[in-house]
Formats: sequence, C-alpha cells, structure tokens
Amino acid sequence: MRTAVFHQSFRDDERLLDSRTQRAWMAAFLAALFTMPFWGSDYLLAMACIVGIHLVATLGLNVTTGSAGLISLAHAAFMGVGCYTVAWLARHGWPFWLTLPTAGALAALLGVVVGLPSLRVKGLYLAIATLAGHFVLSFVFREWDSVTGGVPGTTIPRASLFGFELRGDRRNFFLIFGCVVLLALAARNLARTHHGRAFVAVRDRDFSAEILGVNLLRTKLAAFAVGAFYAGVAGGLLGYFYGSITPEYFALTLAVFYLAAIIVGGLGSVLGSVLGAVFMTFVPEALRLLAHAGSQWLPGLAGLLLPMGQVVFGLLIIGFLIFEPHGLAAVWARVRRTFHLWPFKT
Amino acid sequence: MTGITRRTLVQSIGAAASLGPFAVGGAAAQAHKGDVIIGASQPITGIFSFAGVAMNHAFNDFVTWKNAAGGVAGRKLRYVSEDSGFKLDQGVAIFKKIMAAEKPSFFFGDSTPWSKAVAQDARASGHVITSSPSLAGALADPAGMPHHFVPGSTYGQLQEILMEYIARSARGAAAKPSIAYVYSDGEFGRDGIPAGKARAQKLGLNIVGEIITRQAGVDVPPEVAKLRRMRPDIVIFQGYLVAPIPEFVRQLREAGLNPQIMATAWALDRGTYEAVGALGTRLTGVSTYRYPHETADSPMMAIIRDQLAKSRPDFKHVSPYYICAWLCGMVYAEIAERCLKANKPLNLANMKAAMESMTAFDTGGLAGLLADLSGHQIASGRIYAYDPDKKTMEPASGWIKA
Amino acid sequence: MSEWSILAETVLLGALSGGVMALIALSFVLVYKGTGAVNFAVGEVMMLGAYLYYAGVVSFDLPPWLAFVGSLVVIMAVSALVERLVLRPLAGQSVVAMLMATIGLASIIHGGVEAVAGGDTYSPPGLLPRTPMTIGDILIPGAVLGNFAIAALLILGFLAFFRWSRAGVALRATASDPVTAATLGIHIHRAQQLTWALSGLVGTVAGVLIASSVGLSPLLAGTALAVLAAIVLGGLDSVAGAIVASLIVGIVEALAAGYLGGKTREVVPYIVVLVVLVVRPYGIFGTRAIERL
Repeated sequence: MRTAVFHQSFRDDERLLDSRTQRAWMAAFLAALFTMPFWGSDYLLAMACIVGIHLVATLGLNVTTGSAGLISLAHAAFMGVGCYTVAWLARHGWPFWLTLPTAGALAALLGVVVGLPSLRVKGLYLAIATLAGHFVLSFVFREWDSVTGGVPGTTIPRASLFGFELRGDRRNFFLIFGCVVLLALAARNLARTHHGRAFVAVRDRDFSAEILGVNLLRTKLAAFAVGAFYAGVAGGLLGYFYGSITPEYFALTLAVFYLAAIIVGGLGSVLGSVLGAVFMTFVPEALRLLAHAGSQWLPGLAGLLLPMGQVVFGLLIIGFLIFEPHGLAAVWARVRRTFHLWPFKT
Repeated sequence: MTGITRRTLVQSIGAAASLGPFAVGGAAAQAHKGDVIIGASQPITGIFSFAGVAMNHAFNDFVTWKNAAGGVAGRKLRYVSEDSGFKLDQGVAIFKKIMAAEKPSFFFGDSTPWSKAVAQDARASGHVITSSPSLAGALADPAGMPHHFVPGSTYGQLQEILMEYIARSARGAAAKPSIAYVYSDGEFGRDGIPAGKARAQKLGLNIVGEIITRQAGVDVPPEVAKLRRMRPDIVIFQGYLVAPIPEFVRQLREAGLNPQIMATAWALDRGTYEAVGALGTRLTGVSTYRYPHETADSPMMAIIRDQLAKSRPDFKHVSPYYICAWLCGMVYAEIAERCLKANKPLNLANMKAAMESMTAFDTGGLAGLLADLSGHQIASGRIYAYDPDKKTMEPASGWIKA
Repeated sequence: MSEWSILAETVLLGALSGGVMALIALSFVLVYKGTGAVNFAVGEVMMLGAYLYYAGVVSFDLPPWLAFVGSLVVIMAVSALVERLVLRPLAGQSVVAMLMATIGLASIIHGGVEAVAGGDTYSPPGLLPRTPMTIGDILIPGAVLGNFAIAALLILGFLAFFRWSRAGVALRATASDPVTAATLGIHIHRAQQLTWALSGLVGTVAGVLIASSVGLSPLLAGTALAVLAAIVLGGLDSVAGAIVASLIVGIVEALAAGYLGGKTREVVPYIVVLVVLVVRPYGIFGTRAIERL
C-alpha cells in the first residue's frame, strides 16, 4: 500500500516519477532495456527494434490525435518523408545525429503544410484532408526518381558513430532505443508545459480555448508539426534498421495501424503509446505462437487462425472501443490503483 | 455491463492472453545433426496467399521427394517455414528468427522489398543463399547481391525475349506490327519496361503507346478509349496477374479491335489464359517454366505430378509459383551437393562459387534449356500460345536465351 | 479522332463511371446523415456484397438476378446487425472513436473475406447484356452504360423514396433532429437500423456492378477510397452533393487519366479536394457545422 508520498512544492507535484518505488522500478526497467542486446536472442532484438520504431511514430500520433484531437491519416507518409530524407542525406555522408533531426524537421514542415486545412475544417473533413496529403506524398515517393529512387525504392547506408558502423540489430538497438527514451521523455514533458495543456484544451473545446487566449492557429499547426517530427525520426530509424526501403511500405494501412495503436493503448498519454505500440506489434506474433501451440492439440487450428490476423485486429479495435475506451493505459491505471490500495478495495 | 462483470471479464481475458505465448512448450523439432536446412518466409495468408500456399507445398513436396531419393550427398534436407502475410515487417522478423534458431543454408522469401531488406544481413551472416519469386532485374546482381539468385528470367529479359519473338514472327511481313504497352504502376509492372523498349528500338519495332495504370481496381474504359486511338496490333500487359486483362480484352473486342494479347511469367497462369480464351482471344506470352501438361518433354514435371497425386490428390492445378519453388529447391539441392561432394563447408563463398559453376544445370525440363546460373538467374524463356481446342498453353517457339 | 471528340469521350466516360461512384458516395452519406456515424467500411461492405453475389451464383447455382437479390437481403441484415452491435454502444463518443470503429469493422470484413475466399480474382457474371453504344466517333462500352443506368435508376428511386414515402420522411426526420422525431412517435432506433440497411443495399449494388466489370477480389474495397474525395467535395451530409460531386470527380479522374497518365488518377481528386476545402470548407452542398459552447 502506498503511503508517505506527500508533495510539499509545486515542483514535487509536477514530477514525473514521484515516489522512490517508482524511481526504482524505472531504473530497473531502463537497465533491463539497455542490456537487452546482451541477454536477448536475435529474434527478440529484431522484434524490439521494430517495436521501438513503431513506438516513436505512435508517440507522435498520440500528440497530434490523442492530445490535440486532430485526426491525421498522413502519419505513414510523414514516416516516408523521414526515411527518404535520411536515405538521401546519409548517401551524401551526413552522420546519423544530423540526418535524424533534419528528417524530423523536414517532416514537421510538411506536417504544418498538411495541417493547414485544420484552420478551416474539423473532424472528419480534416481526416480526409490529411488523407489527401497522404496520397500526394505517396505519389511523390513513387515518381521523384532522382531522390527517392521511385518505385524500386532506395538503400540507406548504415549509421556510424565515429567510424564505428552500426550494423546489425544489436547496435541499431541502442540507436533506436536511445531515440525512444529521449523522445518519450520529450513527449511526457510536453504534456506538462502550457503547450501540452493548450493541445488538450483545443481537443476538448477549441472555441473556449480561443477565448482563454490559446492561439488556435499556432497550436493546431504545432500539434501537426510535433507529430510529424516524431514520424520523420521513426522513418529515419526505419531506414537505418532495414537498410533498404520501397514506397509500398508507407501505405495507408500503416497509418491505420498507428491509429489503432493509440486507441488500444490510450489516447493522450505516453504510457498509452508504449502499451499500444507493443500490443499491436505483438498481436500477429502472439497469434502465430498460439496457432503453433494449439496445432499440437488441434491440427487444423493453424490453418484457421493464421488468416484471421486482420479479423483479430478489427475485433481488438472494436472491443477496446466498446469495453475499454480509454485503452490499456486505463487498465494499467486500474491495476496500479489496486496495488496502491491493497488490502483495501476502494 | 455492470462494473463487476466487466472487470472479471477483462481480468480473465488478460490472464488467458498472458498465458498464451508461454504455452508454446516443446514444439521444437528434432534437429538432426547435419541436415541441410531451407528456411522460408512464405505469404501463406494475405493478398498473395494463392502463391504462398503453392510455394509452401512445393518446398515441402520437393524436400519429401529428395529425401526419399537419397537426400543431398547423403544428408537430409529440412524445410522450415513461417507465414509472413506478405508484410515486410513480419517477413524480415521471420528471417531473423529462423536464421537465429536454425542457421539455414538457404532461404526463400516472398517479395522484392524483402529480398532487398534482408540483403545486408544475409550477406553478413556468411552462410545463406536467398531467393524469392521476384523477377526484378536489380536482384540478379552477382557483384552487389552475391548471396541471391533469381529463379527465372528477370522482367526486363522477359520483355526482351518477347520483342525478339515479335520481330522474328514479323520477318517478311509488309509492315512491322505496332505495339502498345499496358502496365501497372508498381515494381512488378515497371521493372521490365525500359529493357523491352530498348530492345524494340534496336529491332525497329514501333511502340505506339504506353498506358500506366494503378496496380489494382483499374478503371478500364478510359484506357481502352486510348488504345482505340492507338490501334495497336499487339498489346503487351505487364504487372498484372489476372484482372484487369480479361476486362481489357472484352472492351477491346467491343470496340472492334482484335490485337494480339501478350503477357509474361506470372500472368500466364490458368486464371488468365482461361478467362481470355473464353472471350475468344488467344493469350500469348513468354514463360521461363514449362506447363504442367508437358510431362512428355519434362521428366521432372512428371515427377511433380506423381508426387502431387500421391500426397495432395485434391491439389489439381500446378501453378507457375509451384514450379518456381520446386526449381529453387532443385537449385539449392544442387548447390549443397556440389559443395558437400567437394568437401567444402556450406558458407557463402563456397555456395556462390558452386552456384556460378552451374553453367549447364539440368532442370529436368522445368525450365527448358540447360540452365546457366553464373549470372545468378535462369535467363531463358519460351513463347507459349493458348490453344482453344486443347484449352491449354502450347509452345509457340523454341527456348530463347535472353 | 478530333481533339474535341477525344475530350467529349473522356468526359462522358468519366461521368458514367462517376455515376457508379455516386452509389458508393450515397452509401456513405446515408449513414452519416442518418446516424451521424462515419462509415469507413463502405468499401468492405461493397466487397462483401459482391462476394455473396458470386457465392450465390457459383456455390448455390442460382441465376444471377436471384443471387443478386439474395446478396442484397443478406447485406441489409448484416448492416442492421452492425448498427445494433457496434454503433449503438458507441453512440456519443468522439469522432476518432467512430472512425476507428468502422475501420475495425472494415478490417474484420476484409480479413474474413480473405480468410474464406483467398486472394484470387474471380469473374462474376454481369447482370445486363453488354452492347456498346456509338455516338459519332465516341464509343461507350456496354458495361459502363449498363452500370450507369442501374445506378441512375437506383439513385432516382432513393430520391423519390426520401421525398414521398412515409419511411423516407421518417428517416429524414430522424436525421435532422432525433429528439423531436422521437417525441413525434418515430421509432428512431428502427429508423437508424433502416438507414444502415439501405446504405448496405446501395453499397452492394455498387459492388456487384463494379465486380462484374473489374473482377472480384479483396482489392475491390480499395476503390472506395476515391469516393472519399467526392464526399468531401460534395459535403458529408448532402445526398445531392454526393451525387454531383461523384460525377465531377469521375470526370476529373478521367481527364487526369487521359491527359496526365493513369498513375495520376489517384492523386488528382484529392488535390481538387484540397483546393475546394480552401474555398468552401464544408463542401459544395454541405451544411456548415454550428458549434455551441
């Protein structure tokens, strides 16, 4: 049961980790995370890297759509922008600590452009405007041969740190999760500042926010820019991880995947993004494992379960929306509260 | 739902879900020491499932047959595959998983993006040769992709063969036939077109127009209207599997045109030629592989049919994907055999050398001429044309080297 | 062929294909106008209807017209069921939630169809005979003409239904003010279910028509994406807007395909949408949403 946690200053109240147990757990988690390349199998590391990349993108979308309420279907296209930027710059010899921020910045710029309709329209109209942005950017990826390599795609040279080439999952892991931790911290901090609160105000009632002095134009465009920045960095990390990419990767289904991740995880919180990204990436894997395990007892099970991946995806989304609209983060909060209050129930 | 019942429901689902992955248990196959392992990331589910299922069956059947026939230099073959759903993330994850768990010597993937994404890792591992059903020209690159080979002619070479055939058939005719290209806006469609156009120019053939369409859900009437204005003698389709070729043919005939319809490789499967044949048009095309009814000229095709009749009696149709996968299996087995017989370990350098030494590899008739794999591909093909009486595709030329 | 007749042919073909697109747009707008729900699963419902039609013809050996009617009935029942099970529990939630629910529904249908029928392409039989029509230099393929005829008839039928029949008026009442409609004795739940069922009906007709000409495969659902551009252009809640905008988008797409090449086909309608949104944010005929604090 949680006792003796009293805040005596505003600073203490605002802390991200406010009790010693929390700090201890977080330290243990980070230690386990950053030593994973030493104790994890190749497969686990590959999955972890992919989860990390998806996590960065999900964090971004959770700022744009979760915190600020602006539905964005162009997220996959922003990732593509980041990936191709990194590809082009890396081929010209730029190091990763320059290419990734530049990719993010370029994606953010395009995010502002795609978000411009938010000045005039809201809700579904805005979603379709971002869809238009997605299609236009996809077209550019396929046609601008000189920069993006066109339909056959392009290769991305491996990142290197002072000549030490980041080849292989174990080394890329550090790059990816370094970015993940930094960006997650940034997102969490953003929520604590007045910018983050402005996002939430715009989501809930933008007229009232405007009356209270929030500059709607700047806030909405900032939400798009931040989300796109994250997507751009995620795209860059994707490029370094795969080493080669084709424009087919950045399809609309990827944007839908990220939307599903924030719904399942929980809108507007970093924890929600983490849980959502991990959950959605592992669902196909878990399905496959289940199919394999189950086919020992019921031989036809694999053939029945494996094609149901998409059905399970849809069922999860609808299930969470109906039964758990605040996502896994709310479930987690409930679990925590149970532990805090134990042995009492309320 | 009241709070209590909802809570218990969520709790029980959570408990079940968290136990699931741990219930895997002892599904580990008995790893025989010294087995030659073929790994695969097959699109068994997803949009490419009709091909994935066929290729998966083909590898399983080949391994069964080869092991029954004595294996590879005395060692048994083992096939490990997982479903990639035709998604890049899953496909690459499966590659890494199987590479870590089984250390295969050969790996079969599902697409061009996959082949490019795993290239660096495959090369770095130093012990695997990969291939996939993609016939993209960029993959047949002995210098840039030393670990990969293409189990057929590349799309560009197929177009070149087609142009050669058109030029040869038109020899002596009054005017050279006019050709129109209709292709899809993706790698499958675009990859071979520049080579085809270059060869056409060299042969003095006239390409009157190019129509580029979406990859799926093609709106046919405006494109047919354009074709009507071009009035081509020959229309070459590239980048489609079945649709929208029959609809194009139907509307072309309605418009009063009756050009020769040509296609390549994967578009020459039963679905396409039957649909086009039902409209009264003969589909012609270039294919690297023989057709399943040509057992007279191809002993391996007869073996395939026998094997299928024994193990999968309800699997009636042998698609080009099946033949492609079986052929890959044969190439893998041959590479392994050459290395093992020379007492060399199965690492990348030796396997690459073995592959490049296969300049006259007998494919048992699956791919016509003796195959030359020194360029990391099987660069030959034959023209087939639909025979409306026999309702199958019959050879219309000899085997042409690209 | 002269330049003018090429232009005329392109425009005419575009308008005719826009007519079929209008059906899909109508399906979407019906649901939005009637229940306020955004239905991103329109393409998938269309595809499901077309698959049921094909199953009816091939597996049950029914004559095409009977299979068609059968698929319509089944889809109407499925749509009503979806409304009851999925949409009603979510009533009142945010736009994101509704959007994602229908996207989830789309995934379920798509995955289900792929699991059962696989990724192959089939050729379902057409419903109408295909005789091309020639106007001077211009040739209109028979399929296009037939599809447009059916689509036009159906749309006119719907317009008449909404204007003159009791049920239609009840639906319109529920759409504009559910609370008042309820006090006047209209059973709004049933009205909303009927709206969904009608939307499914219209979508299925579109699906069967398109599948007969393009071929039946899971990719059929993707053709509905272009319709979103038309819907935004016309205004999300306007039936007339959906129809007019679909014709416009059809013509624009055909012009783009004809003069800029087939690969620009997908992008151009969305560029048009972006331009229009600057001038008329809620579409040509849409009603501006009035928000109260």
